[in-house]
Amino acid sequence: MRERGGQILGSERLRRSLIRVGAMAGKETLHILRDPRTLYLALVMPVLMLFLFGYGVSFDLDRIPVAISDLDRTEASRALVRTVTGSHELVSAGEADAAEADRLFRRGRVAAMLVIPSQYGEKLARRERVSLQLLVDGSDVVVANQVLSKADALVRAETRRLASVELAGPGAAAAPLQVKLWTRYNPASLSALFMVPGLAAYILAITAVLLTALTVAGEWERGSMEQLFASPVGRLEIMLGKLAPYLALGMLELLLVVAFGAAVFDVPVRGSLTLFLVIGFFFLVGMLGQGLLISILTKNQLVATQAGTISSLLPSLLLSGMVFPVENMPWPLQLLSRVIPARYLVHALRGILLKGNGLAALWPDLLAVAVFAVLIVAFSAARFPRRLA
Amino acid sequence: MTLRQAQGHRPLQPAVEARELTRRFGSFTAVDRVSFEVERGEIFGYLGANGAGKSTTIRMLTGLLTPTAGSGRVAGHDLARDPEAVKASIGYMSQKFSLYLDLPVRENLAFFGGAYGLEGKELEARADEVLALADLRTLGNTTTGELPGGLRQRLALACAILHRPEIVFLDEPTAGVDPVARRTFWRIIRDLARGGTTVFVTTHYLDEAEYCARIGLMVDGRLVALDTPAGLKRTWVPEQVLVVRGRELRGAAAALSGRAGVRNVIPFGAGLHLRTEPGSLAPEEARRLLTEAGASEVSVEPAEPSLEDVFLAVVGNSHA
Repeated sequence: MRERGGQILGSERLRRSLIRVGAMAGKETLHILRDPRTLYLALVMPVLMLFLFGYGVSFDLDRIPVAISDLDRTEASRALVRTVTGSHELVSAGEADAAEADRLFRRGRVAAMLVIPSQYGEKLARRERVSLQLLVDGSDVVVANQVLSKADALVRAETRRLASVELAGPGAAAAPLQVKLWTRYNPASLSALFMVPGLAAYILAITAVLLTALTVAGEWERGSMEQLFASPVGRLEIMLGKLAPYLALGMLELLLVVAFGAAVFDVPVRGSLTLFLVIGFFFLVGMLGQGLLISILTKNQLVATQAGTISSLLPSLLLSGMVFPVENMPWPLQLLSRVIPARYLVHALRGILLKGNGLAALWPDLLAVAVFAVLIVAFSAARFPRRLA
Repeated sequence: MTLRQAQGHRPLQPAVEARELTRRFGSFTAVDRVSFEVERGEIFGYLGANGAGKSTTIRMLTGLLTPTAGSGRVAGHDLARDPEAVKASIGYMSQKFSLYLDLPVRENLAFFGGAYGLEGKELEARADEVLALADLRTLGNTTTGELPGGLRQRLALACAILHRPEIVFLDEPTAGVDPVARRTFWRIIRDLARGGTTVFVTTHYLDEAEYCARIGLMVDGRLVALDTPAGLKRTWVPEQVLVVRGRELRGAAAALSGRAGVRNVIPFGAGLHLRTEPGSLAPEEARRLLTEAGASEVSVEPAEPSLEDVFLAVVGNSHA
């Protein structure tokens, strides 16, 4: 009898606890629905950012202006110029003297200058080695890299053309080394494909941290936290009630970003949508938990906003591999990036969306975001004061 | 069954018991060895200047602050051993009572009801009841932020009593509310007490304190007086004040100042205030003496001491 009584009491306690969590979550949902700022932050800003980053931050450069300094002025050198500037990736910004390069770079007129030496045609005919000179404005690393790789590809193309001309003629020499570039997963090298998974992680990180940071700090500022502490609502119930609606909102946000990515930038979804949602879920719990922790520690909306932005925006932007590959970072930063959940989400999303990777390849990412989520929620709960002082 | 029976006995215990309750913040003692009992169904007023320790006492009794020393029982539950049981049986309206201003009136009730485990039909019925009690029936769908201060205060009270708590703690509930709204608020508090709810209320409005069955007076963290309003006046303002009006009083006043039992004679406007030891000088006697000394058209009325007199006497005494 006693045990049964205990069970009834236990299930009644659970029922009441669920009512309390439901009351918190219901109230929070009403706050969200009535506050245009929250909805803007969660649903409009991500789409705007996606458009801005997707179109604005494009690493696909086209029609890069290149000055030509043709010291040879033969048929052969003109053929080379035609090949280099004919693709519209690099365009001729006109003839210039090599001495002028510095001035042109400074004024930003050209990104590079191709210098064809004076005996180019002759040496080609004698099958001697010819060096072309390419001066590149290195101040913009992205542009410089693009110019280098494009010029390289174009010169190889010219080499092949020359070789094929010779092959057709008598006394054919061995074909020059052929290098074939083959970009996988992102065949057109479109920035959007590379950017959207990173952006999804970035946007999700900022908004999720800010969403909870603001709501819990607001509760402190308003004084309603004191009211809650005087009620039977427990810490964990407050946390669950706060997290649940924002988790739902965050999942909606995640789907929205990927849907827009697919619709506008043709980002594919090659892998499992379930795995995508599971990893996204744990990532969100971690980020919402981070916001919760910040607001528990700061108890002030203004400070929470700043701490939330800095702690989510900077690492997610700089250390996640969204823009800058983690492999290229100095080792202290690489180490630091290991505790940034966005890094794992970026990797996992690229894997799922672009490569069609499954759990076999992505379990470390899933594990990492899940561990982060559990740790941060547990830590928040531990730091959540039960009393006022 | 045994549980029920135990509960049946509980009305015999006081609603609130504080034993040597003490709270220090660093070297500052906010509440210093405070002991008192509050009877069930009583309106207990807790008076004191700002910073006297009223809110700190309430926060200890509601489980929001851990006492540095001492103990307490609220609704029969020990504060230290069973804070959750305490929380479930009390209602609390903090000084900065925080309704959610962006939500409609009924949603605030729904939330606080849910926080105390109410749901569904029970919650609906109870929300209707408290809205009626607080005279807010027609405002259920109004956004809370649009309500004037007095109505918000009533809604806050409604939220605090939704779950039928045995005891409600109200911390400065009428601060910053106009006199008419304060009167309405106190009518609701009295209705609540008539229904059997114990009300523990802090205030610094002395006129409100007259509504309380008993009053505790806090000065600098110590409970220096505790009695009914009438008892406090008897103890702390023992001398009788006679208000004298008439003509040619100034000349006649000398006839009284030397008399035994008269503590002082103070000119007050066109009249006089006589402070006398109780029973030493009847109003009629004073009138006769003044008339004999040359005054005319003399009237003498005993004045009722106010809680303000008590408060000043208590504060003066404890600072002396």
